[in-house]
Amino acid sequence: MKTKRLFASAALALGVTFAAGSFPASAQAQTLTMGVRGGPESLDPHFSALGSHAEAAKHIYDTLVWSGDDLQIEPGLATSWKALDETTWEFKLREGVKFHDGSDFDAEDVKFSIERIPVVSGPTTTTIYVRRVAEVEIVDPYTLHIKTNGPAATLPYDFVRLFVVSSDAAKDYSTPETAAEGFNAGPAAVGTGPYKLVSWEPKGDLVLERFDDYWRGKGPWARVIRKEMPNDSSRLAALKSGQVDVINYVSSIDYLALQRDSSVEAVIGDSVYIMNLQLDQREDTPLVRAKDGSKLDKNPLRDPLVREAIDLAIDRDAMVNIVLEGLGKPANQMMPPGFFGSSEEIPARKHDSAQARALLAEAGYPDGFEFDLYCTSDRLPGDGAICQGLGQMFSQIGIKTNVNAISKTVYFPAQSRLEYSVFMNGWGTLTGEASYTLGSLAHSNNPEVKMGAFNRVAYKNDEVDRLLQEGATTLDPDARRKLYEQAMIATMADRVYIPVVQLQTVWAAKANSVIFAPRFDEDTLAFFIKAKN
Amino acid sequence: MLGFVIQRLLQAAVVMAVMSAVVFVGVYAIGNPIEIIIPPEATQEIREATIKRFGLDLPLWEQYFIFVTNLLQGDFGRSFIYNVPVLELIAGRLPATLELVLISVVTATLLGVGLGVYAGYRPESWIARGIMAVSVLGFSVPSFWVGLILILIFAVNLGWLPAGGRGEVVSFLGVEWSFLTPDGLSHIFLPALNLAFFKLAMMIRLARAGTREIMLTDTIKFARAAGIPERQILTQHLLKLISIPIITVFGLELGSTLAFAVVTETIFSWPGVGKLIIDSITVLDRPVMVAYLILTALLFVLINLTVDLVFALIDPRIRARGA
Repeated sequence: MKTKRLFASAALALGVTFAAGSFPASAQAQTLTMGVRGGPESLDPHFSALGSHAEAAKHIYDTLVWSGDDLQIEPGLATSWKALDETTWEFKLREGVKFHDGSDFDAEDVKFSIERIPVVSGPTTTTIYVRRVAEVEIVDPYTLHIKTNGPAATLPYDFVRLFVVSSDAAKDYSTPETAAEGFNAGPAAVGTGPYKLVSWEPKGDLVLERFDDYWRGKGPWARVIRKEMPNDSSRLAALKSGQVDVINYVSSIDYLALQRDSSVEAVIGDSVYIMNLQLDQREDTPLVRAKDGSKLDKNPLRDPLVREAIDLAIDRDAMVNIVLEGLGKPANQMMPPGFFGSSEEIPARKHDSAQARALLAEAGYPDGFEFDLYCTSDRLPGDGAICQGLGQMFSQIGIKTNVNAISKTVYFPAQSRLEYSVFMNGWGTLTGEASYTLGSLAHSNNPEVKMGAFNRVAYKNDEVDRLLQEGATTLDPDARRKLYEQAMIATMADRVYIPVVQLQTVWAAKANSVIFAPRFDEDTLAFFIKAKN
Repeated sequence: MLGFVIQRLLQAAVVMAVMSAVVFVGVYAIGNPIEIIIPPEATQEIREATIKRFGLDLPLWEQYFIFVTNLLQGDFGRSFIYNVPVLELIAGRLPATLELVLISVVTATLLGVGLGVYAGYRPESWIARGIMAVSVLGFSVPSFWVGLILILIFAVNLGWLPAGGRGEVVSFLGVEWSFLTPDGLSHIFLPALNLAFFKLAMMIRLARAGTREIMLTDTIKFARAAGIPERQILTQHLLKLISIPIITVFGLELGSTLAFAVVTETIFSWPGVGKLIIDSITVLDRPVMVAYLILTALLFVLINLTVDLVFALIDPRIRARGA
């Protein structure tokens, strides 16, 4: 691409620094080329709930509620919201917002978008964002009443991924057959976001042009090119050769090399992803056995002493410093600190192999036992290596561990068929609050209350269930926060889910070129990347 | 001749039918794609509804039956991931792979045969030894590593060529090509070189072995005795005689490279079909995987057919047998 040089010449002065996501006033730089790992699957924002899909969509469309850098909710297209009664939320909309085609944004567009989602959603279903909505009522062009099916305390959090499309432009492109066509080719891809669509092809480049009437103010780049480059080394090579200005997901090995390279600078951000070890609680679990291969008379993972021993066996500092090359933090709960529902009362987890062995002996397994550990190896940075590390640590306390770090395409279907006894994968609290994580994992699997869908270890703690059910219907944020904190404490004490490490993500940019703040959800958003000058 | 073609096409149909069943069952065995692509906050109810919506709750034979019924009507289905017809998705990315593969395979063949014939004709010369050394390298060094080294040298250190992507494209015959623009050519150079390297080595070896064998035969002795100039012997007689294995390999290589140029495409971020199929595998996008592999089977069958027809053209013995 030829225009990239313009950017390079505009880039001067100091190093890449962290800065709040404020809006750039000057805009002499012209084109920003980003090399990203994954891309959108369609330009229809309602098609997929995938992170990279939403990231691309945020350039063209706005969400009703904005999720800030730290994932706490902020006004977006809605300026304020409040619960009127148990099952009604009122949203006040921003006035004076324009779509890319010049038409005005109003309540009709929001209603249209909400109702469109269940029709056009793909398998990575976006219906999760509107699952609590029973009815949308337009009070006036800038006021909406949303009726929910039962009390829905987390509705504003659900709406951080509610993209608003133009009801006029997308009207004829709202069936599963026509949606992709209308949006990918452009006529329906009309949003209120900072950039207008120029062109896109699946797995190729997304080319965008600044929308001058954007309500937050003019974006810093006249043109943005978002190139999909799935291979980590190629992405880095493209940055080093000047083909792209910014890349995401630098691998930990490349990160070490980057520190010796003055032409490129790295930005490290905490990730929402925490690697959790999960221990099956069924009476009869398939992949645990005595060391001689014979069947044990009961599932040792149901014994709290054994679970504590497993927890104590994990050396989290070694995991961070050696396995992850420093790109992580020891985790003591299933969400990063500061999230809605994370508890400050939970202490850091200890590592003590001797005590772990003693606990195993006390539980009646002085010689240990054997299990198969399964993990993903290609989903998140370092997942396979962490798995190997865990295997060694468990072997040290006398539990013979057969490590199986496998592709996510095999892992998740097998995990859902409940074929594993001990397994580890990452979980990201993408909404920034606990009902997302604890509701899916820590509640017992109960379709009636729509919770526990990802609880694949038969975990059931009646107190946790009660707290989570109460939390889901408590509209007062302070009371709700307390409930989730208690639920987190109780879940962590049971050690059926054992958090290991919180991952960190690395971006890289040409030295002295841009300023941007890393986001918890790992989004790379051109509007918030400023040229340094 | 017509009977031969018809027979081959029937074989192709059988191969493709078997292929579709094997791929379908294989992908089904890995598991339900919904488990990989459904978002974590989905409730049990949403999960069930999604599985139902994509027909994944039906028994295997029924899913396969629906697939085949649609296929016979020319409908490969829609991608789970992109929600566009699979054929459209593949067709949109085929030109990128086509130009890359044709350029690299044709270049490798022309160059490889030339060098190989020389190496076979003057096996003791230093140049021939140099050529053989290069071919050993081409064989033994893995292509992803060569790709990374090419990027490192030409894109990162020297900055002469871009590290990836397709560059500027122009529309020709309704399709976008990048080899028609200078910028596009600069983008195609490294990946084409990367792809060509292994094939070049193979062509050199084939041509050299053929040349060494043929040069000792009576045909060449008689040609020399008849006073035919050496140059004419090489370009007319020798080339024809060594061409059968070369054409066979050319056809197979063309097919396999078209279908599986995935390593090079990934390293150079080349938006071709190889990348598409790998991406589809990682998310179990069954319609794309199945359609792609069926089309690949078709491609191979067609290439083999063409190769057989070309044999008949260049080899009078095969023609005489009436194939």
